[in-house]
Amino acid sequence: MIEFINVKKTYGSGNLIATALENINFKIKKEEFVSFVGHSGAGKSTILKLIYAEEKPTSGEILFNGEDISKISSKQLPYHRRRIGTVFQDYKLLPKKTVYENVAFALEVSGYPSREIRESVPQILDIVGLSNKMGSYPHEISGGEQQRAAIARALVHRPALIIADEPTGNLDPISAWGIIQLLLKINKLGTTVVLATHDKDIVNNVKKRVITLDQGRVIRDHSKGRYAI
Amino acid sequence: MFLTISRTLKAGFQNFYRNGSLSVAAVSILTLSLLIISIIIVLTITANLGLKYIQDKIDIRVYFKSDTEESKMINFRSEILKYKEVKSADIVSKDRALSEFKANNSNKPEILKAIEAVEENPLLASVNIKAVDPEKYDVIANSIENSAYKEDIASINYQQYKLVIDRFNSTIQTIRKTGIFLFILFSLIAILITFNVIRMTIFNHGTEIEIMRLVGASNNYIRLPFVFEGIIYGTVAACIAIILLIPMVKVVTPYIIGSAYVNVVQTGFTTYFVLIFLIQLLLGTLLGVISSLLAIRRYLKI
Repeated sequence: MIEFINVKKTYGSGNLIATALENINFKIKKEEFVSFVGHSGAGKSTILKLIYAEEKPTSGEILFNGEDISKISSKQLPYHRRRIGTVFQDYKLLPKKTVYENVAFALEVSGYPSREIRESVPQILDIVGLSNKMGSYPHEISGGEQQRAAIARALVHRPALIIADEPTGNLDPISAWGIIQLLLKINKLGTTVVLATHDKDIVNNVKKRVITLDQGRVIRDHSKGRYAI
Repeated sequence: MFLTISRTLKAGFQNFYRNGSLSVAAVSILTLSLLIISIIIVLTITANLGLKYIQDKIDIRVYFKSDTEESKMINFRSEILKYKEVKSADIVSKDRALSEFKANNSNKPEILKAIEAVEENPLLASVNIKAVDPEKYDVIANSIENSAYKEDIASINYQQYKLVIDRFNSTIQTIRKTGIFLFILFSLIAILITFNVIRMTIFNHGTEIEIMRLVGASNNYIRLPFVFEGIIYGTVAACIAIILLIPMVKVVTPYIIGSAYVNVVQTGFTTYFVLIFLIQLLLGTLLGVISSLLAIRRYLKI
């Protein structure tokens, strides 16, 4: 589904070039659950940004379902994004919209008919366990619930891929584990999940594929990986 | 397409009333700019109307000696009408001059008494000449003074008018020039301030735009709410500006300019009212939309 071929990414120019990623090669198959681990600045987030085309690689190719997205046009970008759901450490919920409206928003901007929105949103909120918080505003619910709402928003247009960048970074261990279990459940239902984290316990408990990064390079890629740096 | 427009239109209205204080700031700045611009427009229009009004009042009167036969005056008139600078020429007989004089002084009985005391009509017959262009009176007056009729002419009352006409012409020129200058100056200021205020409101929406992009909103879908918001700003500002402008013109003008002129300004204002409002509306929405488009540009880059 996703393939990185000799990907290099640098920031800055002239004497101030900082290399974020170098010589990155890997493949992610459909319905896989892959965790990227590493210290801050190892390049986890950069890899995720390259996948949802927030950044473009300096050199190399990134294939998504066989098409090269490293040269995607700004016109095509929204359509690429609609195939992907994104979840972030800071949830990125709209503070002036309720949980229901936040989730519906993802469908509205993609031009879904209103009838379908009214059907899908409660369904997806039921899956993440927020049926009783539909009318609440983000500041009225807990961090774990906010992240569930964000996952619901990422899922509601049924993307083939979920990208989660440190989704548990702001949560206590119990809420964090709840989020990870939710991601595992989503994965079981057939969605590819790419997770970036530096939480050792989570990685060790998930027992899925782990790609370890250090200073912009892949140093380990194990199919039943553990957190080891 | 319809879905996009209806949803973004709704979002535009929501942005407008949910960001109360910023909307008020943007609208009041825009209103002020429009008001200043339209005051300049009103001044320019009324200056032109005033010019026309006074042009119509200006004429040259050629007074004939009291023993001149009427046929001579008719000849003079037809000759004058051949000049291309002349718009019209009317003969005012002694009797008509007297009745007009009485009508003009009907509220001054002592003057009327004095006129009646004189048995013979003391007024002279005249030919009133109007020029196509007020700057041509010089030429007309000169050629009359050198014509074959100069023996019969008692006087030409052009010289005493000349100063007034000249001064008026130069005032109009000044008003026009400063009007254009002020118009450009204030338009620029208005554009800059409006742009900045709208940029601030869009900056306020930074996270929202980021999220829209992440969930796959097209650039148009992100842009349109702000475009609609700009249109709302412009429309509201234009409405407030015109509402403020009406009392300003009706109440303030009589204090600034002479009462004879007020009628001209106010009838002129009523005639051009729709035009001024349309200009405000167009200018306001254009300003709002262009500022929005410029301000949002940097959020849409990859």
